[in-house]
Order: sequence, then structure tokens, then C-alpha cells
Amino acid sequence: MIFDLIQNTFDGLAMGASYALLAVGFTLVFGVLRRVNLSYGPAIMIGCYAATWVSLSFHSNVFALLGITILGSVLAGTYVERLCFAPHRQGSAIAAMVASFALWMQFEEAVTLVMPKHLYDFPPMFDGDPLAFGPLSLRAEALVMLSCALAICFALHRMLYRSRFGLAVRAVIDAPLAAQLAGINVPRVLLLVFLLASGIGGLAGWLIASTHTQVTPMLGMWSTLKGLLAMMIGGLGSLPGAVIGGLALGVLEAHSQWFLGPQARDLIAYLLMFVLLAWWPRWMTTQSAS
Amino acid sequence: MSALLEIRQLVTAYGKIEALKGVTLDVEQGSITCLLGPNGAGKTTLMMTVAGILRPKSGSIRLAGEEITGRPPHAIVAGGIALVPENRLVFPNMSVLENLQAGAYQRRDREIEADIGKLFERFPRLKERSGQNAGTLSGGEQQMLAVARALMSRPKLLLMDEPSLGLAPLVVEEIFRIIVQLHQDGVSIFLVEQNAHMALKVAQHFYLMEQGKVTFSGTPGALAEDEVIRRAYLGSAKA
Amino acid sequence: MDDYTVSVLTNIGLISFIALSAYLLIIAGEMSFGQQGFFGVGAYTAGVATAMYGVPLPIAAVMAMGAGAAAAFLVGLPTLRLRGLYFAMATLAAAEMLRIVFELIHFQREIDGEPIGPDGTQGFRGIRWVFENGVEPEGFLAMVWGLLFAVVALFLFMERSKLGATLRMLGEDPELARMLGVHVERFKLGVAAAAGALAALGGALYAHHNTYIEPRNFDIMLGVHSLAYALIGGLGTAFGPLLGVLIDIGALEGSRVFHGYRMIVFGGLVAVLLIFRPRGLLDERVVHWLKRRLA
Repeated sequence: MIFDLIQNTFDGLAMGASYALLAVGFTLVFGVLRRVNLSYGPAIMIGCYAATWVSLSFHSNVFALLGITILGSVLAGTYVERLCFAPHRQGSAIAAMVASFALWMQFEEAVTLVMPKHLYDFPPMFDGDPLAFGPLSLRAEALVMLSCALAICFALHRMLYRSRFGLAVRAVIDAPLAAQLAGINVPRVLLLVFLLASGIGGLAGWLIASTHTQVTPMLGMWSTLKGLLAMMIGGLGSLPGAVIGGLALGVLEAHSQWFLGPQARDLIAYLLMFVLLAWWPRWMTTQSAS
Repeated sequence: MSALLEIRQLVTAYGKIEALKGVTLDVEQGSITCLLGPNGAGKTTLMMTVAGILRPKSGSIRLAGEEITGRPPHAIVAGGIALVPENRLVFPNMSVLENLQAGAYQRRDREIEADIGKLFERFPRLKERSGQNAGTLSGGEQQMLAVARALMSRPKLLLMDEPSLGLAPLVVEEIFRIIVQLHQDGVSIFLVEQNAHMALKVAQHFYLMEQGKVTFSGTPGALAEDEVIRRAYLGSAKA
Repeated sequence: MDDYTVSVLTNIGLISFIALSAYLLIIAGEMSFGQQGFFGVGAYTAGVATAMYGVPLPIAAVMAMGAGAAAAFLVGLPTLRLRGLYFAMATLAAAEMLRIVFELIHFQREIDGEPIGPDGTQGFRGIRWVFENGVEPEGFLAMVWGLLFAVVALFLFMERSKLGATLRMLGEDPELARMLGVHVERFKLGVAAAAGALAALGGALYAHHNTYIEPRNFDIMLGVHSLAYALIGGLGTAFGPLLGVLIDIGALEGSRVFHGYRMIVFGGLVAVLLIFRPRGLLDERVVHWLKRRLA
């Protein structure tokens, strides 16, 4: 029993590490643009499909695919930013959210047109068995994923507080009008933040695909919803919060699945999101991007 | 020689409502020029249009003979115009030092650190608080920070939108002392002000704007002689 | 009319209900990403009533509307005071919860030696009231469109009334509405419940048209489509959402020209229209102009 609990927590942390990475990208966009990008996951899916296609055509190394995945995600992200976020910069946040959903539909249909099979294999990062700690086991991918999440969180923090670009990003978050008056090219900063988030999403997508050793069209919706949930649990807009939110979501899901089954797992996650939004709105809004 | 800033027939609209209905005015090189006018006359709209935040519907803005109409705000700053906006608008969650660094965002030269040092000499209060978040400063200190931030871009022309608004009389005097000092250092200043008494002491040229149009242009002497303006802007004001 | 045309026209009618439901909320200033949940509540309620308990469809539809209104009221209670983006995400979470609840419901009765009722992810088949009562597809089509016209007429009547003016004021400037003595919270709850009932009515009819429903039918895709229909069709008149549905289901899906590319075309259309016509094709200005020409 106690081993089950510990093993579940391990599995949850492993899963949570991928949620954390997804949430970091999501949070970056939300924290700076105050917009929700529903196409975040589908853009990642485009990257993963591009890599899958390369892998099937050229049998390339799994680490070479990382570059393809990131490139694909960033290109798809550029398309999303130009069509959904740049035009609605002054306008409604909801319009941008709906527009990003419209592109989600495009992405999903586009991948099924080009690669119609329901499931494609993705090469694994490592061959061999999971690492064993006595009766417990943990996959090496989970450790890689967790280290990546922490490293990226740390690097983003450094970028925000130690670099010229980070200064501009924080200025835009703090007072967008003043940032323009200070001579900061705000549209460009927003585009770059968006592309950075897409790149992080691409890394997350590659890690997830090579951990699950498969890609399906569901990856898009899955990534968006998990990233969104983890971001919310972490308090909307805080980078360390996103990592903690992702891990918490993973552990919560692992335990609720073990005790109550997969549907209850999703139900509890959404319930948490609903309750957080409805009854703790201050939790959501007071956690600024710092 | 043409003026430093030349505004010709400038029209800016919010939807169908024209806030500026063909504004024409000049700011001479090396001058302090002051724009007076009641609330809602379009003074802030004019400042925001010159700074590139608002796009004009028609008309032209030239800086030192160069057409800058319709350029984005960051390009305007790079071109040499910096605006100290109404209500100061500092970056509240960034330190005083970071606020100044952000003001130099356009610059790539190596003199940024030196400029910050000079500004700290001019504004010793800011130096004392350089690590503090700007949001924790008093209103007067924030106003000084906003001016200092604008100066970090090394502007040819400094726009100031009601710098004395909401400040205590002593602080207002300090702000005007700074304006005079900047002017002596060679910065051209275009000032929007409600406090006509203070402005009268420093400015060389005045414009009056009413309902989106310039209705008076002249020297401080001419302004003080105009009966209507006197009653509206100087009559009841405290000295 | 051939079967295919009848089926496409029926579908346009059915989806128009949920599009109108999204429209009603947008007019009142709220973008819900969760109307599909109430559509599903209506579908399940009416399906259970007719297929398991022999309730006639008209009564079952009224029950569905009641259930939809109640569900929307309960969701609205804690969420309607949230601002735009937060309301959108909260309603999305609520609708996903409802969908998972549909996955968890296993509730069947033996009818004529056959188990009938919702069976979790296996769905709910055998909602055959329409066929058992000899209603031809054309008859059902007439029923759907008859009801739809009644609803649209109600909308047009409402928009001319004081109620409609209050509704638009609420959407444009809730503070002004509050100052003029509108009880904003109560009013919005009423609107949310009405929108829930409308979506549920559509769901009830949808279940009886398809005879089979499953939780997947009521996922976020349906919800955002209904929002998109209202947004591209136009927010100036209740005909707007209908136009939106007509463009997507009628022109893109129905014509088969865009087979395999429908989502790409429709998605692009939505994104581009949101930029150039943020209040849709039939926005307030176009509607005003049309009214003047017609008058």
C-alpha cells in the first residue's frame, strides 16, 4: 500500500514534469500578453508531426528530431501570433482566444490530411528498462523532463532579471504604454516572447513524444488543456508557480486515477480549475508575473 | 531656419470624433514652449500623437525638418523625442535604476552608465532610492523619475504633459527648477501645463488650445495682455 | 428533397439553437466556452425521458429546457462575476466536467428485451421516438425549423423591447446599466439560464435526430464552433448566428467542395473575420443599414 502511494507519487511527478514544461510556455504568453493561446498545444503537435515525418523519411537520430520539433513549433507559433495575437493587441482578449481556437482546427485538420494514420511511432530517448530504486521504478525520461523544466524556469528567470531583453519584457508587463514611451518596440517584444514560448513548447513536445514513443492528433488538445490547468493551479502568470502547478497536477492525477479511475482523474482536475477560478479569483489575479 | 518641431494641420480622431481638428504650431530649437488649454481641449491627444502612440488621420509632424508622422513610438524615441506622460507612468514594479535603464533601451552606446551617474547627481533623491521599486516612491519622486527616464534617451525635444498635476506646491517649484536647468543645458521643451503662473515664469512662447484647435499664439507678454485669457487662466489661479 | 439535403438542413437548424444560445450571452457581454455542456444536458435529459420512460418528445423537450436552465443557473452563480477570460475558462471547465459526468453515467433499463440508456463512453443509443411515432425526416425538419423560427421571432421581438435594450446595454456598459438601476447579477443569471435552456432545446432535438449520442459529441469543439458561428455571422441580429451556421455547415460541409479542407477553410475564415469584422458579417451597422433599406 505504502509502496503504491510512493510509486504513484513518482509516476505523478514524472507526468507532472511534462505538465510543468507545458505550463511554463503557457505562462510566459499569459504573463506578458494577458492572452490565452488555445493553439499552444496544436502548434506543438505540428512540431511533433514534422519531426515524426522526418523520422519516418530519413530515420534520423532522436536528438536531431529535437531541432525539427522546436523549429516546427516556432513556425506554427509565428503563424498563430501573426493571425491571432498581433491583430488583437489593443482589442479583446476573447477575440484572440477564439481566433487561436480557429487555428487549432486548421492545425488538426492539416496534420490528418498529411499524415492520416491515427497513431505514429516516435523514437524513444533511451532504450532499456526504467531505473529501479528497490521496489520502486522511475523512467529516466522523467528525470530528463524534470531537469529540463527546472533548468528552463531558472534560465527564464535569469533572462528576465539579468538581460536587456528581460528588462524590456518586464517593462511591457509592468506598464505597456510607458514601455512604448521609453522606446521599447513593444510589438517586437511580444512576438519574441511568443516565439520563445513556442520553442519551449517544442522542447516539451519532443520530450513528451519520445517518452510516450508515439504521436496522435490528440496531442494538441491534450497539451493545451494540461498546460492551461497546470498554469491555473500554479496561479496564472508565475513561472515557479507553473512548475509547481504542473507537478501538483501530475501527482493529483496519478493518485485520483489509482483510487478512482481515469474519468474521475479528469473530473477532479477540471473541478479544481473551476473552483480556483470561481472561488479564488484573487489567487488568480494577485500572482503577477514575477 | 525652420523650427525643431513643426506640426501642420494635424487631425487625430477617436472613431468619428475628432479630438484634434487641424493643429498647426512650432516649437523652436532651444526654447521652452508651453501649451495651455482647458480639460478636453486635446492637449494630451496632441502629445500622444507626436509621441507616436496615436496615429493622426491627416497632417504632418516634422522633427528638425524630417517627416516623422505615423512612425511607431520606439522610432520616435530613437529620432529624438521623449514624452514624460501625464500622471507620470513609471514602471511600478521595477527598481528606480531599472526604470532608468529601460529609458535608455534605444541606445547601444557605452555612456549609459555615465548618464545614469549624471542623472543621479541631478536627482540625488533618486540615487538614494535606486534599488527601491518605483511604485513605492512619492508622487514628486515619481515625476522626477519619469523626467529622468525620458532624459535617458538623450532627446532633442522633451515633451512634458502636465508635470505639476497633483503635486504639492513645493514639489511643483522643484519640478520647474529642473525644467529651467534642463533648458539651460540645451534641451528644447514642449510643455502642457494648467499652472499658467508657473509656466509664465519659464516659457518663451505660448499656445492656447481649445476644442481641438489652436486659438492663440504669442509671447508671455502678449498672453498676459490678452484680457480673455487672463481671466480664464491667470485670474483665479494662486501664484 | 433528397435525404442528404434534408439531413443537412436539419443539422443547420439543430446547431442554430446552440449558436443562438452563445449569441444571447455575447449580447449580454459574456463569452461562454461551455454552452455545449447544456446542449448535452438537454440531449441526455430528453433521451432518457422518451427512450426510457416513454415521455412524448414535446414534454421531454420542455423537461430538457428546464434541466438546461437549471444547469446553466448553477454554473452561472459562481462564474458570472468573473471577467472575460476567466469566465471563458471557467465555463470551459464546467462543460468538460459535464462531459465527463456523461462518461460516468451508466443508467439503463430493459425495454423490449434490450438495455436502453446512457452507457458511459459507449454512448446512448436507441433514442427512436421520432421513428416510432411515424415522423418522417421532412416532418422532423419542419418541426426543427418551426421551433427555430419561433425562437428567432422571440429574439426579434425581444430586441425591439426594453428588455433587448437593457441586454445590449449590459453587454456594452455594465456600470451604466447598474447606475440606471438594472440588477446586473440577477439579470445576467436570468440570461444565462435562458441561454442554457435554448442550448438544451437544441440538444434534445439533436438527440432525436441522431438517435444516438455519446459524451464526445459535447466536447469543446462544439462549444467554440457555436461561439464562432455567432461571431462570424454577426452580433447585430439573431439572424447572424444562423448565417454563421449556414456558412459552415451549409456552404462548407454541405457543398462537399471543401471535403477534407473544411476546418482549414472555416478556421481561416474565423480568424480573418475576427480581425476585419470583429462583430461579424451582420454587425449592428449592417443591420441598421438593412433596416433602413427595407423600411
